[in-house]
Amino acid sequence: MLRKYKVLAAAAAITLGLTGLAGCSSSDDSAGGGTIAIITVDPANPYWKAEVDTAVATATELGYETTVNAHGNDPAKQTQFIDAAISAGVKAIILDPAGADESVGAVQKATDAGIPVFLVNAEISAQGVAKAQIVSNNAQGATLGAQAWVEAMGGKGEYVELFGNPTDNNAKVRADAYHAVIDQIPGFKLLQKETANWDRAQGKAKMELMLQAHPNLKGVIAGNDEMALGAIEALRSAGKLDKVKVLGFDGNDDAVAAVIAGEMVATVLQPIVDGTKAAVNQAHAFLTDGTLPASEKQAIDCILITKENASGLKGFVLS
Amino acid sequence: MNLNPFKRGGSTGTPAKFDRRAFIIEIRALIALAIIVIFFSLLSDKFLQYSNLVLMTRHVAMNAILAIGMLLVILNGGIDLSVGSIVGLSGVVAGYLMQGAPVPFTDQVAYPNIWAVLLISLIVGILFGWLNGLLIARLNIAPFIATLGMLYVARGFAKLITNGETFTKLDGQPNLGNTGFIDTFAAKPLGIPLPIWVMIAFAIAFSIILNRTAFGRWLYASGGNPRAAALTGVPVVKVNVRIYVLSGFCAAAVGVLFTADLHAAIPNMGEFSELNAIAAVVIGGTALSGGRGTIRGTLIGAFVIGFLVDGLVLIGVSVFWQETIKGAVIIVAVAVEEIQRILERRQKLKSAS
Repeated sequence: MLRKYKVLAAAAAITLGLTGLAGCSSSDDSAGGGTIAIITVDPANPYWKAEVDTAVATATELGYETTVNAHGNDPAKQTQFIDAAISAGVKAIILDPAGADESVGAVQKATDAGIPVFLVNAEISAQGVAKAQIVSNNAQGATLGAQAWVEAMGGKGEYVELFGNPTDNNAKVRADAYHAVIDQIPGFKLLQKETANWDRAQGKAKMELMLQAHPNLKGVIAGNDEMALGAIEALRSAGKLDKVKVLGFDGNDDAVAAVIAGEMVATVLQPIVDGTKAAVNQAHAFLTDGTLPASEKQAIDCILITKENASGLKGFVLS
Repeated sequence: MNLNPFKRGGSTGTPAKFDRRAFIIEIRALIALAIIVIFFSLLSDKFLQYSNLVLMTRHVAMNAILAIGMLLVILNGGIDLSVGSIVGLSGVVAGYLMQGAPVPFTDQVAYPNIWAVLLISLIVGILFGWLNGLLIARLNIAPFIATLGMLYVARGFAKLITNGETFTKLDGQPNLGNTGFIDTFAAKPLGIPLPIWVMIAFAIAFSIILNRTAFGRWLYASGGNPRAAALTGVPVVKVNVRIYVLSGFCAAAVGVLFTADLHAAIPNMGEFSELNAIAAVVIGGTALSGGRGTIRGTLIGAFVIGFLVDGLVLIGVSVFWQETIKGAVIIVAVAVEEIQRILERRQKLKSAS
């Protein structure tokens, strides 16, 4: 038994050691511009991987060293990484915050220590604490998507809606923008609205049932790509793929493939790469001569992805 | 051996005796199902259409297969919270193998044919079930804790394998001879989707195991009273390990079926499905304390849950009400039984005095 505990202890020590090392592996100030700390959510997800890769590449190009950490939406971890960045004396922090309310304190801490914080992808609920908050404009993106879908539908038709997780603000923002476009056209009729919690399997199950209830439906609007892809699978097995127009949102690689194949009318790309580039460039401008961005809150426009431009999109980057 | 008044099938290997109590409970679940069917067919003319019945039964089948495995565990007084994660893990393993798996220590990539893919995915489920069984039966860890831990471990592995992404290239390549995954595991023999056939096959096989084998008799005995069963020579540890293995096997089968059905292996597939399986088992009249329950009741329970959830979507009830109603039905189904038991006891007391 004792030996087992020793092995466990050794494993724990190694893990701790590695985490510690990962936190400060490249934080020496030898390079010209010093170090920028990049704190993201979860690089295992391609969306955040694109964010990290862009931040590192842009910062390296501008002559900075970088450290990368991921808080996995855990505010406690986020605070630890901010503390570590403060004691390592980094020049600036690029942060994808873990929660709007939960992150205010952590950002305040860094600002009090004289380290500028630039937020990317999500915002916090206080202004004047971070130097910049760069988020993608969900409402504008959903408007673009809805317009493309309305055109593909021929300006009329009966349709159903797959709604994201009802407690997630983005689900409401996107749905509202969809309806702001669609509801003013008299030819459209919403048959049913179901939530599928951003999930592909649930999207498929709900779509199968709605196809039973409304066999003649002509369109589907979905709050994200995963639910839209589930709906597409349901339509495929019902043999109705060519009769029903599907709209997605996010621009992930599976959705891009579906757009190219003509199974999805359009999706909307969240410009995470542009947003991250802007954050690093603004940090650089502030560090060189103290210039602040024109406004703290910046919404970056989303890009409509249709058959015309889909082939240039991979890993959330449009070439 | 007559330690447990509710067990089905005597120690002599005779077929199930008539058991009034279990019969009433099953009838009650059937009545609930009948009410659901009548209610929804009045509200929607689509509900009883053949295509809709097949669709709903396919949805039910996934949960019913999990519930059959869960029934074995609950019969023994245990619980298996890890089945949803095992669904995700075995599905991801299948997807990983279909994409081509690099062979360690070489620069070769293996493209196993679909039967090897099925076998390996099932073995993964069996392995995790076996680990559950060892933790519970040998180390005496409470089933709730051991399988809760395994819930996270299996889900973590699923995400590690996919790196958080989704495997969608499941079609294989003709020149490698690994095609047909979707066509085979999402097939519709005689117009009936494969998951329904698997549900029927599992129901028959596990009924035989429970009612006609020594293992089945041991399970009912040790579930009713483990100490007494051990004293009478039932290998309780072996039984305890085996039920988790079988539960993992059922979950892995669902993982493969789900992946083929969805045309994608998603690491968060099957999340929370353990809870639906437990609900089906409980509505089917199985006692969480163990020793009492049948495959037939569990299947009816799965139909009650599945038809209810799908029916609510079909008639377009708001999603928040869907969850509330589902929860209420689970509670009512079990509460009615308990109320009846209390009334019976009172009556007995009265007639005794």
